[in-house]
Amino acid sequence: MFINNFFLFLLLLPKSIYEKMGVNTHHLKAILTTKLMMDERRPPSIQQRQKKKNAKPIKWATLGTMIMSALLGLFFIISFFISNDTVTQFFLFFTFFIFLLASTLITDFTNVLIDIRDNAIILPKPINDKTFLLARLFHIIIHVSKLVLPMTLPSLITVGIKYGSWGVVTLILLIPPVTLFTIFLINALYILILKVSTPEKFKNIISYFQIVFAIVIYGSYQIVPRMINMSVLENYRFPQTSISLLAPPFWFAGSWEFLYHHNYSIIIICAFILSIIMPALSIWIVIKYFAPSFNQKLAMISGSDTAESVNQSKAIASSTKKTFAEILANLFTKKGAERMGFLHAWYITARSRDFKMRVYPAIGYLLVYMVIMILRSRKDMLQELQNQTTSGKFLFLGGIYFISFVIMQALSQIKYSDKYKASFLFYTTPISVPGQVISGAVKSSIIKFYLPLAVLISLFGILFMGIQILPNLLLGMSNQLCICFLIAYVGFVEMPFSRTESITVKSGGFIRGLISMLIPFILATVHYLIFDYTVAVLILLALSMIAVWLVAGSVYNKNWTDLKVGYQD
Amino acid sequence: MIQNLSSFIYIYPYYLIPMEPIIELKGVFKNYGEKPVLKGINLSIDAGQVIGYIGPNGAGKSTTVKILCGLISDYDGKVTVAGIDLKEDPVAVKRKIGYVPELAELYDVLTPVEFLGLMAELYDIPKIVATERIHKMLTAFGLEANMNNRMDTFSKGMKQKVLITSGLLHNPDIIILDEPLSGLDANSVIIVKDLISKLAKDGKTIFYCSHMMDVVEKVSDRIILINEGQVIADGSFTELQAQQGNESLEKIFAHLTATSSLGEAANDLMKAFD
Repeated sequence: MFINNFFLFLLLLPKSIYEKMGVNTHHLKAILTTKLMMDERRPPSIQQRQKKKNAKPIKWATLGTMIMSALLGLFFIISFFISNDTVTQFFLFFTFFIFLLASTLITDFTNVLIDIRDNAIILPKPINDKTFLLARLFHIIIHVSKLVLPMTLPSLITVGIKYGSWGVVTLILLIPPVTLFTIFLINALYILILKVSTPEKFKNIISYFQIVFAIVIYGSYQIVPRMINMSVLENYRFPQTSISLLAPPFWFAGSWEFLYHHNYSIIIICAFILSIIMPALSIWIVIKYFAPSFNQKLAMISGSDTAESVNQSKAIASSTKKTFAEILANLFTKKGAERMGFLHAWYITARSRDFKMRVYPAIGYLLVYMVIMILRSRKDMLQELQNQTTSGKFLFLGGIYFISFVIMQALSQIKYSDKYKASFLFYTTPISVPGQVISGAVKSSIIKFYLPLAVLISLFGILFMGIQILPNLLLGMSNQLCICFLIAYVGFVEMPFSRTESITVKSGGFIRGLISMLIPFILATVHYLIFDYTVAVLILLALSMIAVWLVAGSVYNKNWTDLKVGYQD
Repeated sequence: MIQNLSSFIYIYPYYLIPMEPIIELKGVFKNYGEKPVLKGINLSIDAGQVIGYIGPNGAGKSTTVKILCGLISDYDGKVTVAGIDLKEDPVAVKRKIGYVPELAELYDVLTPVEFLGLMAELYDIPKIVATERIHKMLTAFGLEANMNNRMDTFSKGMKQKVLITSGLLHNPDIIILDEPLSGLDANSVIIVKDLISKLAKDGKTIFYCSHMMDVVEKVSDRIILINEGQVIADGSFTELQAQQGNESLEKIFAHLTATSSLGEAANDLMKAFD
């Protein structure tokens, strides 16, 4: 709260000037104090995808946001050590800055930058327009400052050490225009998406953007340092040609060069002019053209009444025509509760933003790890796979067993839902064996999250290692299925989509963790040891398939007394 | 002999045969942690009755409903539905009950057709029958244009209509309605009220839980008033009037449950401006 009060104090210092402008400073302070208090209780955008319903109330969100921004800002320092050329260094810095700020602000846009709740709460009150506008402007300034200041702090220190105080002053001068330009970019992006999509799709696009953002940030941290070949980059120079002027980060990098090194080449002067004109122009465009229709469009997003059709052509009369999900359900499940569980899980995992936000980033992180694994292995990877050398086998089995973590992630999340109260349907309908619903949901997750990757790895394996790899492939997959059902058996002590994440179930937690980590490792090790002995592989395959049949049966037959968690009210 | 017996059954007045209550609660207790919510509820409800189950906030209405529907199973006492002990065979009880919950909580990424289709599957309704019934019921509620639209864009009233449909889909003997009119528009309220009367005429037992006293007064054969986990009044509206003076149900409710005078509370509120 201290940080908010500090910003508030600073902005309200010229009180008398505001009053002369016709602003009611009491109202201004009241609105800002409330808005900042609300921000304090909202999870930082960076952590929003992990937010939990009924979780502990958020406190110190400002401090959290600032620390997180500073940590992300540490990443920018790398720009100042990559090349010897300052334009290149600052080009990279401003690229990172624009990307990160835009990504962070994108999720905050409806909450902070254009707060549509104002329309219902503040506008009907007797507050004059000037006070209202200034409150909104100050709120945006404070919010953006809380992100930008810590984000740039590590870089300012680095620039101070490398280029002295004038280097820092120059950079500080360039931060406001680049921030304004970034805000314009997001604004333009929002308008563009709203033009080409429905409000419902808009929400999905923003969610996907958040997922991609999380994966890109994680991937950059993990992969970029491994890929950088310093000796090559040291001599790299970003080309200073007229085409470079199309890249906004170059305008600001050029300006720094202009102000610090007094470089007066034509391209640098053009960049300097653009760095002043473009932010000013962009803000003018926002105010003049974007803002008027923007609130109205954003209001549509929050309270959209335009129903999105899932499949209008799927008329109820034509129920004989089966959907893809129904075909799969008929293939892999028994009629009744299991089929219902399958379809229910299939639809929800496909459509629920909440589920996607929890599962897809984690799957993305795992894929990043896979990329790292491939990068770490030697370049003649394909050759090694073909020859089935030790590292070739290791890579192949690593690929097969590693994807179990993907399905584990999905399985661990299908018990949760932000609409957990809707699970009344499982408890009030005559389901005699709840395991049937669970089994359907598990099979649905396996087919959706595991099967595509398994098919991919199978094709890859057969292509590079030949058809003789089939027994090993089948054993790997059978073991995977065994792990999945084992996790479902131990881990599912409730109905699918029936819990909030805040409820922790003590029983089975340790065993679940053990199975999740240890069993894939043990099975992969055993598999590695018998890899070359086809007979042993076939025997183990038979045993594994029997185990799958037994464990899947146990999941299917779970009864109400096996469930530890009832309806959560 | 058999012919004589069947003709006896046919001509013997139905209401003179002693009937087993369709819902019976005997000494039902329920605590949330240390806090007692139900303190020994005893109820006996006959088939075909429309029960108005009313009480102030926190009285234990929803807890009773949740016990009956199988959402809460850790209670003390005995509950039988259609002669079946709820604890012994909850699945059989659930087949007989249709439940419409209070809040329009749904997996709203589904469409009404998908949601109701899944419900039909759980009640073992043949697909052809279910499809036709879903179509007819949604059309009656004016949702035909939205049948294949995701419910996350629905208003509260539209979701409530889907929930009512889900509660009636399997044509249950007992219908438990927890604030079914919540969020419905005026026309839909008329439809639901009319529906309750028609279902009652059809021999269904309706357990109607609500705060809307005027509606309860009109639709119920019998009104049960619960306060602080205990039944404090039970009878037809006329019987309650006879006991409490010739008042409206709203006034009877206030008289029996308010801790202080409601008029005084309003006065106290007005005094805040002085």
